[in-house]
Amino acid sequence: MGPRILLVDDEQEFVQTLAERLQMRDMETSAVFDGPAALAQVQSHPPQILIVDLKMPGMDGIQILKQVKQTHPGIQIIILTGHGSEQDKILCMHLGAFAYFQKPVDIDRLITAIRQGYETILSNEQKTAPCDRYPETGSWQP
Amino acid sequence: MPNHDLSPDRNGVRFFGTLSAAVTHDMKNFLAIINENAGLLGDLAGRARNGPVPIDPQKAALISEKIRKQVNRADGMIKQFNRFSHSMDHAQEAVDMEEMVHLVAGLSERIIRHHEVFLTVTAASVPCRIQAHRFDLLHLIFRAFEMVCEILDNAPEDTRKEVTVNFGSDPMGPEICFMYDTDTGWDTLFDDPKDRALLDRVNMHVKKAGTGSGFCLCKTFKKQ
Repeated sequence: MGPRILLVDDEQEFVQTLAERLQMRDMETSAVFDGPAALAQVQSHPPQILIVDLKMPGMDGIQILKQVKQTHPGIQIIILTGHGSEQDKILCMHLGAFAYFQKPVDIDRLITAIRQGYETILSNEQKTAPCDRYPETGSWQP
Repeated sequence: MPNHDLSPDRNGVRFFGTLSAAVTHDMKNFLAIINENAGLLGDLAGRARNGPVPIDPQKAALISEKIRKQVNRADGMIKQFNRFSHSMDHAQEAVDMEEMVHLVAGLSERIIRHHEVFLTVTAASVPCRIQAHRFDLLHLIFRAFEMVCEILDNAPEDTRKEVTVNFGSDPMGPEICFMYDTDTGWDTLFDDPKDRALLDRVNMHVKKAGTGSGFCLCKTFKKQ
């Protein structure tokens, strides 16, 4: 099974269709339509990859990016926006976004970014959890 | 294009830019939905070609219908935007205010939704026309929407974020009223010199709504 993905976008038809396409590629994908629902799901069932729109009513994508990076820095966040500027891109990358795309996006480019984000997570997990491989007593067992 | 000097000022250009940005954002979203549905159809075709899973005709019809719906949405938006773009071509003329409210409401739907404000436009009971430049009247209506959204953003938390636009019933004294659920903030409306200049150009003034909370843009009758 591939990475666990959460899509956040107020264009419901867009996220539902994109979710279906990612599921067809064996990626566990769910979708929510606003910021508060996204944060609630991040708390209850954290995804590994978060794909989020920038401009949404109420809480926007920048706020979601900031909050999630504070509480769950390991989640890789991809921005997928209909109207982001170059300044938005610079800000998002500065705030810790993993990748930034404009709609409409080529699915192959998006999937490449998802896979890279997932590989980064796996690589970070291996770096941060060496203790499992070094028992308190005894020698290292590869 | 008729040869009139109708060049918008810097503020008018800003208004044009704001609406253009909202419309292009909407267009990007329509294209994104079309792109994903076309992609999904391609995915299903690829799966059918490479394996034993045939394309479900009902599913294909549903996807086709979704694409058609987005094409219609985009077409409607482009038509509105085209009317808006050509509003600068017109000299001063009798302009239907109800039609202009619907045009601004349609084009700025995304902006209004961004404020989580729900807008209703009620039908005018009598023809509601004013002698004005279309572009200026559209700009004035848009400024009114922006101000209402700002008022509702800053209103007490229990305020319903709903706006109803209605029109006066006197064809000789046309007015557009913006009704909402709070009395706060109305007294400083259109205080900015740029907004006052816009009101003057359209030959209108602002007054508190007679009943309920809100304000009206009313025709100004000049003294002879």
